[in-house]
Amino acid sequence: MEKYAKLTAGFIKRQYYPHLLLVLLFVTASGGFVSFKGLSETQASKVMEMYAAFTGILLFTPLFMPEQDGQIWDLERSKATPMWKLYLPRFLLAFLVFVLVLSAFLGFMVKGGGSFDAFSLFWGACCEILFLGSIGFCASAVTNQAVIGYMLSVIYYAANIGGGKYFGNFALFQMMRGEYGTWPYWILGATALFTLGVAVRERMALR
Amino acid sequence: MFYVLFCKECKQTVKSLVYYIYVVVFVLFITSQMSSEGSLKLQEPQPGQSYYGEAVTKDQTLIMEKTLANLMQDISRNLFATYPLGFYKGVALTAPEKEQAQEILERCTGKSLEMLEAERNRYFGQYGQPTPKDAATPLPDYKVPVREGLSYGEFEASMKEICSLVGKGSSYEKSSYENKTYVPMTYEQAKAEFDALCHQDRITNAFMRLFCDYAGIILAVLPIFVGVSRMLRDRRAKAQQVLFSKPAPAAAIILSRYLANLAMLFFPVILTAFLLQQPYLYKAQTLGVRGDALAFFKVCCLWLLPEIMTVLALSFLLTELTDTILAVFVQVAWGIGSLFGAETLVGSFGLHLVTRWNTLGQSTLYAALEKDLWRNKSYYVLLAVLCVALTVAVYDKKRGRGGSILWKNMQN
Repeated sequence: MEKYAKLTAGFIKRQYYPHLLLVLLFVTASGGFVSFKGLSETQASKVMEMYAAFTGILLFTPLFMPEQDGQIWDLERSKATPMWKLYLPRFLLAFLVFVLVLSAFLGFMVKGGGSFDAFSLFWGACCEILFLGSIGFCASAVTNQAVIGYMLSVIYYAANIGGGKYFGNFALFQMMRGEYGTWPYWILGATALFTLGVAVRERMALR
Repeated sequence: MFYVLFCKECKQTVKSLVYYIYVVVFVLFITSQMSSEGSLKLQEPQPGQSYYGEAVTKDQTLIMEKTLANLMQDISRNLFATYPLGFYKGVALTAPEKEQAQEILERCTGKSLEMLEAERNRYFGQYGQPTPKDAATPLPDYKVPVREGLSYGEFEASMKEICSLVGKGSSYEKSSYENKTYVPMTYEQAKAEFDALCHQDRITNAFMRLFCDYAGIILAVLPIFVGVSRMLRDRRAKAQQVLFSKPAPAAAIILSRYLANLAMLFFPVILTAFLLQQPYLYKAQTLGVRGDALAFFKVCCLWLLPEIMTVLALSFLLTELTDTILAVFVQVAWGIGSLFGAETLVGSFGLHLVTRWNTLGQSTLYAALEKDLWRNKSYYVLLAVLCVALTVAVYDKKRGRGGSILWKNMQN
């Protein structure tokens, strides 16, 4: 346990802290970009789906950054520790921050006196943003390049603005249209992509 | 030496996965957007048509009537679209603020919100249209008559009050409502526009402006990833120190790298533009107009090249300076901000990175605004040159120090 705590602390210190600072900036500056006052269901969904959604990209895409250094990657591969044990604490850290950030956004909106179902919105947003983050996570894992992870998740986000119909049940921004029933697809997609990402890394480590 | 470096960089780019993603996404995006345009149905307007399209009006009464119609709709939905920092911000008023806004509306129209809503419902009902209760866009042909005796000065003062309630960047700012009030065109106006489209723009130039409008959106973001990925490649491959020791001057290394990436980014844009222009050349022929066959090159060089130059140059500079992917966050935010911050979808270039012209035609308006566009593009060319020069300076400095000039051991 102590070993993993140390590894995670090292990960934060060397690679992850700029991303955490960026997320902090993203939350603190949110008042300048979006309104939290008296939001209706559609308006509250818009804040979560169009603004808070970037949290998923910011937090889950850079989780493989240490391994972009070939020497670190070779060293990790030479150890007996399975890759998933290395990535799980990083994932949990990102997930914890992610839940805190979404709770903060929800808190701002509730405090602003909106009229929406907070639980449905929170749950739907969690599933959707996790799914968006999992795209960056998986792309980073497969290509070993965080840049491609960011690129694909940003493209997926942008493509959904005008072309959501092409993505079927996996389309984003559904809650803004009053559709709250697609969360099982998002959670399924997120689980599949997170698992695939780690599985690919395990496979790559064996080569 | 420069030519050899340039060719090597081009080969490197062709081997990059990020570049292929760029090409695929660009082509998919542009073809999906352009295929939805029914512009090939372009026809000369005929007298007696029910609709000839829309044009910006400077008529003060019309400006007031249309702005008040929007205001009524926004108060009714209690959602005001604003763009304070370039990003969309939907503002919902508190109960006292909403009441204040209603009072202002009442003062300008002489009618209560309920009366105005009832009138609106009746208006749309008579055409068998659903009431646009939740419509986010302004009502296309609906107007709210102003109170008798309301002067334009009073109207301006009232809109200022609305602005103080909803904040900066709303459509109730003078610069917005005076440039964005559209009214249906008459036959004479439509005919004059059509003639300008055929003779001034020779059809293909107008089409290419529409192409550049869509392409400009995606090109504000995609080149960032190519630039960042290229600048981090040496670091990832641990080739930085080897390159530092080479006799080639910093300017030759950075310039060849920059120009090679620029050429590789611009090539698919030009090729797609050339291919998509062909049906419009044919269409021009069928209308008896000699289309401009080089429009794809001329218009893309003016509209898109400065944008790609700037986006790529800034991504080079930020990545070289920080040795991180900071450029991705900064520039994606800038690109999206510039896109959402456009005051209008046609014209109003200012110093926006993404210049919009989301229409086929409006050639007379374009002729009037062309100087602004040149000013905008010249600014971005200069900015790109400055960024490249700074990148050369940073690279030279790093070479002297043997590594990062900001910090040590930062991993990417």
